[in-house]
Amino acid sequence: MRSYRILVCLLVCSLVQVTSSMAAEMTTKHEYMPGREKAIPHVSGDKEFSNTYQYWKDPESLKKAVDDGLMSHEMNFKDFRWMEKSMEGDMVLEEGLAYFNQENESGKSCASCHGEDGAELKGVYATFPKYNKRVNRVLTGPSQIEVCAKERLQRDDWGPDTRPNSLIAFYVASLADGATINVDTSSEPMAAAYERGRDLYFKRVGQFHYACSSCHTPPTAGNYLRGQRPTTFFGDAAQYPIYHFPYQLAGDDYSYVFTMQHQIRSCQQLSRMYQGKEGSASMTDIEVFIRASSNGYPMSIPVAEYNMNTDYLERNIDQ
Amino acid sequence: MSNKSCFQLSAINLLMRGVAIVMLLGIGFVATAAENEKPQWVPGQPYPPELLDQYPCHSYELECGQLPPPPIEKVEFNEELNGDPDRGEKIAINLRWGNCIACHKLPGHETGSGTVGPSLVDYAERSLPYSYTFQRIWDPRVVNPDAHMPVFGPNRILTKNDIVDVMTFLYATK
Repeated sequence: MRSYRILVCLLVCSLVQVTSSMAAEMTTKHEYMPGREKAIPHVSGDKEFSNTYQYWKDPESLKKAVDDGLMSHEMNFKDFRWMEKSMEGDMVLEEGLAYFNQENESGKSCASCHGEDGAELKGVYATFPKYNKRVNRVLTGPSQIEVCAKERLQRDDWGPDTRPNSLIAFYVASLADGATINVDTSSEPMAAAYERGRDLYFKRVGQFHYACSSCHTPPTAGNYLRGQRPTTFFGDAAQYPIYHFPYQLAGDDYSYVFTMQHQIRSCQQLSRMYQGKEGSASMTDIEVFIRASSNGYPMSIPVAEYNMNTDYLERNIDQ
Repeated sequence: MSNKSCFQLSAINLLMRGVAIVMLLGIGFVATAAENEKPQWVPGQPYPPELLDQYPCHSYELECGQLPPPPIEKVEFNEELNGDPDRGEKIAINLRWGNCIACHKLPGHETGSGTVGPSLVDYAERSLPYSYTFQRIWDPRVVNPDAHMPVFGPNRILTKNDIVDVMTFLYATK
């Protein structure tokens, strides 16, 4: 009888605790910057945000816009991003290829499965992030490289924030140069990942209480942010991993190649948000959203951030 | 019989609580010691990344991912403006302090500033009440819930004194 009472006591107590913690979780309401509902997983979705898509939708349009005398900020700064290939990245690509071919103790390398110089990987990077059925989660390019390296090559130290990983990602992405970005957002679980990533992109966080979209939607996007040129979240993913991004993360030794995961972390740090762990579920979802927002746009690798011939900006526009 | 058992139960309960309180005090002591070792943000210096999980974050696993947004703070300001305009200018142009210049043109800093927000070069001439300006800087959400501007007050980016100095700088007539 007594033990029965104690049991009831305990049950009631734990029930109260469970329901109160559930209530706390359910009542947490996050704040979002406006515009989530307008985002679509295609590069043309930019029309709903900056209305500059017509100027940079393809190389011909961009050339025409520049010739017509449009200023950089009037084109949402997209002219800075991919107008010209950067051959500075070439030497780093060779380093990436060396890691790709680097044999482990049993004589195996990435090339053992993916063909000489990655012959089997042409265009593949344009479809990442991707759901991997076997490991049952969505993987970014760097996360896929990590899984492969661990399982097939017994390399436990090629995680997404390591130099070999970033440089292999850069190399494999270059094999998709020119391929149209095509991240799946229609089948599960990718559709859910896209929506979660979108929500995170507009969620206000950090000391400034900013969202990613605070800088990457107008009026900030398309205006000068001191020396920086924030742009919308459409199209730019097509050039990542990118060579020589100027904002380095403390302690990096691979700062000259920025994967999208590094880029997100760098943005978080600059805007005083807590940095996510590269390859974690939330960081992967954010990348799904950003890369899918470039669907329909051709990849361009290697490109250098702020790569460039800026001569035309100096020209006299009256001429 | 049942009363007695209940009493026994609560006695054990009390004892347990006592032990728990002593343990908590111990943890509290350790936590305070650790707190002192934590880096502090010095305005003008880079913000220590390890301090940022006290604000809402993107993570699904960490507690900061579930933190609620900072409550909207409606504030009053009915004082005279007698801050330090030079200090205010320093705060306004320092990248790692107020950094107003990232988005706004400021008096005496017409070039090299950002273009996201309206120019504040002639702010003094616009005759906006101090209370409005103070609120706009302290927590812009009161004026516009979707403002692309940090919540300087609620998240302790600037103190009241800092904001008064910045305002003194903005309202100073040339």
